[in-house]
This record gives sequence, structure tokens and C-alpha cells, in this order.
Amino acid sequence: MNYWNRRIASAILVLALVLVLNFLLFRLMPGDPVASIIDPRFSPEAKEQLRRMYGLDQSLPVQFLMYVKSTLSFDFGISFLTGRPVMDELRSRVPNTVFLLGTSLLLSSFLGTWLGMKAALRRGSILEKCVLWIGALSFSFPSFFVQLVLLMFFASMLPVFPLRGTLSVPPPSGGAALLFDYLRHMALPVLSLVLLGFGGWAIYVRNLMVKILGEDFILLARARGLPKKNILRRHAFRTMLPPLLTIFLLALPGIVSGAVITETVFSLHGVGRFLLEAVTGHDYPAAGAAFFLLALLTVACNLLSDLLYGVTDPRVRLERGNR
Amino acid sequence: MRDIFLRWSFWCLLLLIGTAIFGNRLFDAPPEREVAAPFSKPLWLDRTLPPTKEIRLSPESPSLLLDWHYAPPSRLSIRVEPSAGETGRFVLWRKPETEVPLRLAPLRGGFEADGRDIAFKRSLGLPPFGDAAASLFSEQGGYELSVSGEGPWDGDVVLKLEGGRWGLLGTDQRGRDIASLFIAGVQVSLIVGIFATLLATFLGTSLGLAAGYLGGWTDSVIMRIVDLLLSIPLLPVLMALAALWGKGLWQLVLILSIFSWMGTARTIRALTLTLRDASYIEGLRGLGAPSKYILRRHLLPETLPVLLATMTLGVPGAILSEAGLSFLGLSDPRVISWGRMLHEAHSFGAFTAGAWWMLLPPGFGIALLCLVFLDLGKFLEEKVDPRLRKGVRQ
Amino acid sequence: MIEIYTPQGYRKDEKEMKRALFLALIAVVFWMLPGGAEAAPGKFDPESYSAPKIEDLYLVIIRDPDAQILALQRGQVHILGDLHRPVDVDALALDPKVNLSLASGFHGFFLGFNVRTFPWNRVELRQAAWQSLPRERIVRDLFAGYAEPLSTFLPPVSPYYQPDVTAYPFNPDAARKRLADAGWTWSEDNVLVSPEGERIPPQRLLSPTASVAPTTAELAARAADALTAIGIPVSSEPMDFATMISRLNERNFQMYVLAWQMTRDPDSLYAFYSSKMDIPGGYNIPGISDPELDVVLDRLRFAPDAMSALAAASEAQKKLAELAPVAPIYSRYSISAVSREWKGTLVTDRVTADNTWSLLAMEPAIGPMRPLYLVQGEEPRALNPFTSSSAYDWQVLGLIYDSLIAVHPYTLETIPWLAKSWSIETRHDDSGPHTILTFHLREGARWQDGKPLTADDAAFTYEYLRKNGVPRYFDNVDNIDRIETPNDLTLVVTMKNVSFWHLHRVGGIPILPRHIVEKVDDWRSWLPASVKHPENSSMTQLVGTGPFIFREYRAGEYVHLKGNKDFWLGRRR
Repeated sequence: MNYWNRRIASAILVLALVLVLNFLLFRLMPGDPVASIIDPRFSPEAKEQLRRMYGLDQSLPVQFLMYVKSTLSFDFGISFLTGRPVMDELRSRVPNTVFLLGTSLLLSSFLGTWLGMKAALRRGSILEKCVLWIGALSFSFPSFFVQLVLLMFFASMLPVFPLRGTLSVPPPSGGAALLFDYLRHMALPVLSLVLLGFGGWAIYVRNLMVKILGEDFILLARARGLPKKNILRRHAFRTMLPPLLTIFLLALPGIVSGAVITETVFSLHGVGRFLLEAVTGHDYPAAGAAFFLLALLTVACNLLSDLLYGVTDPRVRLERGNR
Repeated sequence: MRDIFLRWSFWCLLLLIGTAIFGNRLFDAPPEREVAAPFSKPLWLDRTLPPTKEIRLSPESPSLLLDWHYAPPSRLSIRVEPSAGETGRFVLWRKPETEVPLRLAPLRGGFEADGRDIAFKRSLGLPPFGDAAASLFSEQGGYELSVSGEGPWDGDVVLKLEGGRWGLLGTDQRGRDIASLFIAGVQVSLIVGIFATLLATFLGTSLGLAAGYLGGWTDSVIMRIVDLLLSIPLLPVLMALAALWGKGLWQLVLILSIFSWMGTARTIRALTLTLRDASYIEGLRGLGAPSKYILRRHLLPETLPVLLATMTLGVPGAILSEAGLSFLGLSDPRVISWGRMLHEAHSFGAFTAGAWWMLLPPGFGIALLCLVFLDLGKFLEEKVDPRLRKGVRQ
Repeated sequence: MIEIYTPQGYRKDEKEMKRALFLALIAVVFWMLPGGAEAAPGKFDPESYSAPKIEDLYLVIIRDPDAQILALQRGQVHILGDLHRPVDVDALALDPKVNLSLASGFHGFFLGFNVRTFPWNRVELRQAAWQSLPRERIVRDLFAGYAEPLSTFLPPVSPYYQPDVTAYPFNPDAARKRLADAGWTWSEDNVLVSPEGERIPPQRLLSPTASVAPTTAELAARAADALTAIGIPVSSEPMDFATMISRLNERNFQMYVLAWQMTRDPDSLYAFYSSKMDIPGGYNIPGISDPELDVVLDRLRFAPDAMSALAAASEAQKKLAELAPVAPIYSRYSISAVSREWKGTLVTDRVTADNTWSLLAMEPAIGPMRPLYLVQGEEPRALNPFTSSSAYDWQVLGLIYDSLIAVHPYTLETIPWLAKSWSIETRHDDSGPHTILTFHLREGARWQDGKPLTADDAAFTYEYLRKNGVPRYFDNVDNIDRIETPNDLTLVVTMKNVSFWHLHRVGGIPILPRHIVEKVDDWRSWLPASVKHPENSSMTQLVGTGPFIFREYRAGEYVHLKGNKDFWLGRRR
């Protein structure tokens, strides 16, 4: 079978397994939302009604089929906790999370890459030492700590940034003012994520660049007398691109975890917080939906990164041919 | 390898391990014991706060003058010994520059009250908010504690005043010594970091070697498992498992290692694949050496340098994951970790109380530990890959 | 005063007695609470209120308590309804720009025993356990004093509270003595041995985990320690809340801790302690089964009038204090904070500052009218009056919808709301006695979209709930036999049996507009806040008769309501 077909087949297999795992994970979790209702105004008959309403009185295989059907059609059912369709809940939250993570990933990767490259080019200099140190610091501090300190500083001591949420109450009218308000609210969260994220990038890029600059083909290019900038841009950077892109794509699903903490600390209306509440609140439809989407995202990113690697790295193409 | 002794991180790590093992001998109480008032400040922070003291009234000394030149105490409690019985008399409190004393408490055996009791505050005519101590010691000057009425009486009256200062780092919302908790936290972070990574490395190495060397079916299955586990987002599963499985330090270590062996496995597999076809390995196979022997005596030692470096660099990841989980409140509350300390500080209002001494130490502690391991890992990496060594100019 | 309406059906002397009792209780409470409310109960007049003065009301969603406090201190929000953390209370107590107030509530936290098996089938052991719990110290240490140590089965603010019951103040020595007198002995390792020689096996106390409820988990640990000290080997077992509830439902437990939110009606005692409720899904978790208690609880549940309800409630509390099926521990206070920039807040010891009366009367202390910002700790969810059960939803829905009766903020008596008067009769026919509730609606009340409110809307609401078996209102409408509307302003509800509580059950249902609800396809998935009103495009389907009109819900940020200038309370003239 073709390499690509095999990769896609395995991706589909993984998704199927995730579906089953998802279903089992939450059904195995003890208790159902109706059982947790402790309210003397809810008689036993009333609870039975509620159970029927959520389809919890059906047998497990039937529930599984209902689950598969709704997941694949992106229906996801109705949240146990809020009573609203899960898609609605996600729809209002996804833009915020995407903005938060997208902006911070882009900014931290650019900043990190730029710093890493500069550091690799000036081996042994103070700049390199600084970059390595700052990079290590940025990686080592726990995210919530940095965010709490930033909050304390900017929110209470210098009230420049707002403390919570994505918009003022009431939000200003007019496109430009609204956008500015939104940016002002998101500035601190994004800043914190960038501060925490650029370090890992800088160190990785520096190490990668150092390795590449030590490669023979670079030595050959310099021996041929090519200008330094040229070498950098056309040879070194191009070589770095595949692993960088791969890391970028693979980092994407990973930082959703970062979103959980950031959204908690800054009280942002996002998917991360939603996931946390769904899991701890036994909200099967919502948690299942969030899990599935995350797995989908991860599988898609893995597939995409493999694709990119295959396209940009000739060695892989050759290897494919050999198989 | 001897230049490891020149690295600051090596000595720092030794110090931290030493603290983890012997640290709690510095304190007489276990970390969970309540030692002082909640949110007490460190001793060196606020000198206007009073020291903790106990004032006793007895039949022999039925009244006492107090020259108060501090800020009000943070907590106050009053107790009448049981032997006093029912006397119908009162314990009186006179503030400076006032004539008429306040009836603080009835002189009745077994009576007990605390400045936080709303009933006590109401009996003094105070609003129900805040500690009664602040109103009772509202100014600096001469106070008098005495007993009303004439004649002898039995038992003792004890007025305990707590200053609100304690120890090197103060106390948390339960009155536990933060310095003691901090040291307990070193243990947990080190244990989680090191053991989770060890386990993950062990798993990754064995599975990577097996996949790379044996190939075929074994390779496919293992790689599919790797793919599957990589597709499952870590934090949500950790949250779900933490909720489902209950908490506990070793459960956490196990879960963290199950989700972090994949990278190592891939690297080891790649390495094995290249080594497998080396001529000397071919030779060994030709001589009839069993796979196990080859794996153990030859391939494994080749991977060790890389492993050591990866492992050391993996420890910060485990520590940060544990901290993140604890911060979200998903860890075992009986296990004192730095992440847990930050979670409690955040949810119990250290921010609002201005108790920065609760927030900064654990955060810096985690960062320090991660930096130590990162530096050691970098050192080991440079040993393995000479190109990364600094000072090698082009 | 109460003379403006005369609810018939109460005998005059009962009314006097009840009023005297309430006023006495209020007087006692007020003497003890300095700086209490702004208006004494005698001066509170529901009819003196009018349409809300506020024009814009924003319920700002701030989850993080630190952020809430900061927002209040900075003047970005004006009311904080419920402060949870002692740290916050202490911080705001020092702030001169903020007024704090304390309200007792109907919250009750209990330690329960499995009365069905050894050792908890021994009443003296339960009583001794109760006596060994250091309630005051727990309140002091865990809540910094901001809770009320509870020693009774109904909270002291309940109109049916009976103070004259057997008490078990904290006294471990007396607990030991009680057991010794009953023939218990202690083994060498300080474990109790029953008079028959049976040693108490190690007991597990189920509680929620610390991540979900940190103070509860700590409380359970302390309770376990206290009981172990007198010889009952207890260890606390924190577990996932849903698991815990399953275990309780399966009756697979020995001890547990649980909090209840009770109501002003004591008929919850029936749900908790009648042996008939020891069924799957029922709330008699301890499994107490005492024939005399059952008789009294039946009388309470089906009490025909106020007098017998009061008598039955008193007797029930006395009996429960003897039987000790659970040990009460504390009742939470609700502390609210209001910015001093606003005046007109109604503060009592029974309701928090963000009650409807406050919102009707509040206005800035100086300066022109501004929007009022109120903090809400969590998102409201579906805003569906049929399915919403969270307090955050009802914070919003309660301002939009009205019911026929309301509750006096001081005395907790029933006062007229949409119904200006009502009568309760008991009629006998072949199938037995029935309660008949007749409500007289106000004239001129209108829905927020302009249509007039009629008795037909109420009848439609009750029928709809009954026909569709809506779980939340199941018990409210279950006993309705039939509903009649002789004219536009009169509603006659015939119940299937007799009970004093029918008035509250039926009268407390929010009235929904027929002209909107009858067009709804599926009440389960109805999201009225997201659907435009069929005729008036500036409104949504979330239309009631209440003092505030829904404008907008921006998820994660705020809910915006506008004052209803046409509110019926301002139109009686």
C-alpha cells in the first residue's frame, strides 16, 4: 500500500479508537448527572423523568450507537450541565481560544526562532548566553505562576490592563473601539503565553541551527565563497524549515492544555475552561465533544506534519520510494 | 565527566536532594500541623505586629495592666477554667482613656470564646465582620483586664493574643508553616519528576529497542500505540483519570509516565534501526548470538548517553505537568506539592489578602528545580554531541 | 402592613398568634444584630414599592473571587451577592466604600449515619457522636466564624423553628458518660464495645473530595478525629461526588456528610426522615424508621392549615432531636457587599442584598441615574424556565418571571404578588377532602411585550407543566386535579388531596405567557434568550411580567436587563 494511504488509514483507526475510548472513559466514570441531584424538591419520579430526558435509561450499546452517530455528524448532543447544545457552547468559545492560542503560538515561535537564530550565529557571545538563560527561565517557570504575578502587577499595582474577560461591560460600540477593547483584554493573557513559550523555541532553534551550521554542506557552501546571508537564507533556513514546521504543528494541540490554565486565571470564555468544567462535572456530551475535537486536531496536525515532511525533505521522499 | 563538579546546577541539585531528605528535621511539627493564625506574616516582615502572648488572671492577681504599643493582634481568644463555676461575675476590659470597662465575658467555668465567633462579637456590640481583636485593641496605650465584683473566686481566666507573625515564610490559610510546606514540596517535586521520567524512559527504551530491533509486527503495533497515545490530549486525560482513579502520588507518577514514553521510544527506535545494520552487529548475529544478548550488551549501552540527556531534560516536563495539574486542583490534597501550594494560595485568597509570601516561594522553587535539570541536561547533551559545546567557533 | 390584603381561610386568632410569634422572633434577632437592616419589619410595605428606578442592570460574570473583590473595590461593580471566602469578608470589612450585610439561610450541613445496621442502629451512640462534634471550633477554624453552628433540624430562621428540643452541646466527657451509662465499655485500644460485647468495626465517613469542596473534606477529617477520640474508629474517605451519591443511593455506606438547601416550608422533613422515603431515589438516606415519627411527618405533610402544620413541625423536631438520625453541624451565612455609592438596598437577616426589593428601589446615592452592575459568579446556562436548575439561571429568570405569591423578606410569610389575594378552602366530596385554592389576579398587569396577563396564562402554565411532566415542577403540579378560570382575573385550582403546602407549591410556580409558549416545539431544547419575539423584533422570547426585561446575554461576559417601566407594581393606582 502506498505510504500516504497507510498513514491516512492509521489516522482513521486512531480516531475510531479515540471514539471508543471516549465513550468508555465517561461511561465508566462513576455516577451520572441525574444521580448527583440532591434536592428534596426532586422526588424519585422527577429524577426518572430527567433520566429519560437525557437518554440515560437506554442500554449501553444503544447509548454507544447514539453517541457515534451524534459525534460523526458534529451534533454532540445537549450538555448535561447547561442544557444547551454543545455545539452552541463551543461556538461561543472557540473564537476566543483560537485567538489566544493562535496569536501566542505565532508570536512566540517567531520571537523564539529569531532569537535562536541570532544566538546560533554568534556562538560563545554574551547574546547567546543571554538567549539560552532567558530561554531556560521562560521554560522553567510554571505558566500559572507567571500569569498570577503579571495579574498582581498589572491589575492591582498599575491598573493598565483589565482583570478579566474578553470585553468590557458594556462593550463599546463601533468596530474599531470594540476591536481595541478586545485586544486590550487579551493583551495580558497573550503576553504571558508568549513570555512562557518563546524560550523553548529559542533553545530548540539554536540547537538545530548549530547542528545544521556544522553540517558538511554548509562548509562546502562557505568554501565556495557564497555570501553569509545567502548561506543562511537559502541553505540553513531551508533545512531548518521542515523540523520547525513539524514542531509548530505538533505544538498546536499541546498548548490547548496551556489554554486551560490561562483561561482559568484570566476568566476567559474559552474551550479550555469548558473542558475542565465538563470533565469535573461529569458532563459526558460536552467532555466527549471536547476530547474528540482535540484528538481530531492532533491527528490532523500529525498527518499534516508528516505530509509537510514528506514534501519538503527529499530524504523522506527517497525513503518512501524504497519501501 | 569530571567537569560536572564545576556546574552550579550539580551542587544545587545535591543541596535540594539534601533538603528533601533532611529538611523536615529543622521543624518540630509536621508540615500539616496548624502552628499559628492563618495568613500570618513572616517574622521579618512587619515589626509592628505584637508577639504571641498569654495573659492570665487568677484569684491571686485579679487584674492586669497592659501597655500596648503594637498593632492589634490578629487573633484573640478567652477561656475560663472549669473550676471557676457559676459566679455571676464578669471579666472586664477597659480601653485606654475610658472610664467604663466593657464586659468581655461572663466569669463562668468552661466559658470559651474566640474573636471570630459572631455570637461573641454581638455580645460586645461589634459588627459581625472582622476579628474582635481589631476593635478591642483599637489604639495603643494602657489596657486593663480585670474581674468584676468583690471577693474571692476560683480558677483562672486566660486571654490568648496571637500576633500574626510566624517563621521564615509565614503561614497559609490553615495556619500551616509555609517554610515547612515548602521543604515538603521539594520531596514531592523531586520524586514525581525523577520517578515519572525514569519510568517513562524505561518504558520508552524497552519498547523502542523492541520495535527497532525486532521489526515487523512488533514494530507496527508499537508504533500504532505511540500514534494513538500521541493523539490523545494529555491534560484532559489526566483530568479524567485523576477524577476517576482517585488521587495519590504514585498514581500520578504512573499516569505521567504512561503519557511521556513515546518520544523516547521513537528516538531509541530510530537509533536502533541505524545500529541494527552495523557490521559488528551483523557479525554477532552471524555467530549465533541471541537477540536478547545483543540488545542488552551492545545496543543498550550505545543508547545510554542519549538516554541520560533525554531523561534529564524530561524531568522539568514532569515537574511542570504535576504543577499544572495540582494548580487546577486535580491532585491529592494530602500530598503537599508546590503546585498544590499555589493552588491553595490562589483559591483561598492569598492575592486578596496580599500574602505574597505564599505565592512567590513555590513558584520560584519550581523554576529553580527546572533550571537545575535543564542545565544538567544541557551539560550531558553537550557531552554526547560535541557540536553543541560552546566556544567551538567556526 | 398586612391589612391591605386579607387572605381568607386563615382563622383570625391563628393569624394573630403567628404574627406575634414572628414579630417576637424578629425583635429578638434584631436586638442581637446591631447595624442590621435599613427598615424595621413593621415598616416594610411591599405596596410601597414601584417599578424599578434603574434603567440598565448588568449582571457581570466574574468567576475568580479575587477579580470580584478587586472589581468591587474599584467601583466597577456595585453588588456582590455572596462572599464565600473569609479573606474577602475581612478585606471588605475594612473598606469604607462598601457596606457588608449578613443573612442566615436555609443551608444545613449534616453528618449522617446508616441507621439500618450496627453500630448506628443504637440511638445512644448517635447521640454521643452528636455530642462529641466540636461545632464551634469547626466554624471558627474552617469558616473564620462566618457560619452558624447548627444543633437543630430546621435552621433558626425557619418560621417553624422549634428551639425547645433536646440539645447536645459539645462535651466529649458527657458523651462518654452517656455511653457508659448505657452499658458501653472501652477496649484497651480505646475502641467502644457494645453492651452485648460487640466491638465497633472501623467506620468510613464518605465526603466529597478536597478539590471539589475543600472545607467539607477538612470538616469530615475533623469529625472523624473527634469521633475516634471518644472511641468510635472513624476515618474519612473523600470520593468523587457522583460516586458518593451512588453509594448513598445504594445504601452502601456507614457514615456521610452532606449539605442541604432547605426552604421556608418544613415539609422537607418528610422527604428526609419518613420511612416511606427510604426507597431508591428517596432522600431518607439514614434509613430512620420510627412509627411515631412517621405519623407526625404524615401529619406535617398533609397538614390542612397553619395551626396543625406548626404543631406537627414542632413535634417532628422534638422527636428528631431524640432520635438523632443525623447530626447537624453548621448553617452557612450569606454575606453580601454593596457599594456605598448606591442607596435603597433592602438588607435583612433572611435575604442577601441582591434581592428583588433592592433592585426595585436602588438608585445612586448622588448624581444622575447610572447602570447598576451586579456580580454573578458563574454563567447562567440555558435560561430556560422549564429546565434551568442552577441558581445563576434563576438570578436572571427570577427578575423576568413572576409567580402568584412572594415571600416577605423579613418574616418569610406569604405575601401577594401577581395574585392580590387568595383563599384556601377544603371541600369534601366522594373521593375525600380536597384543597381548593382560589387566586385573584391583579388588574392591569401586562406581559413585557404589552399583552395583558390573564388567569388563562396561569392555567396554561400549570397544565403545560403537568401534561409534559417537566421534572423540575413535577412535585408542584403533581397533586393538581383540575384548573378553572371563571373570569380573566380569577383562577381556581382544585387539588387531589388536602395539604397546607399546596398554596406555596402552586403559588410559587413562575407564570409563563401562553401566547409564546404554546408555539414552542420542544420545551427541552427551547432557548428563549436566543429566539426573537414573533412580533416585537427588539425583544426575545424570554418575556415575563417581572420588573426587568431581558436584553442581551453575551456568553462569558454579562447579562443585560432593562428596567420594566411598565411593571405592574408601579401601575396600581
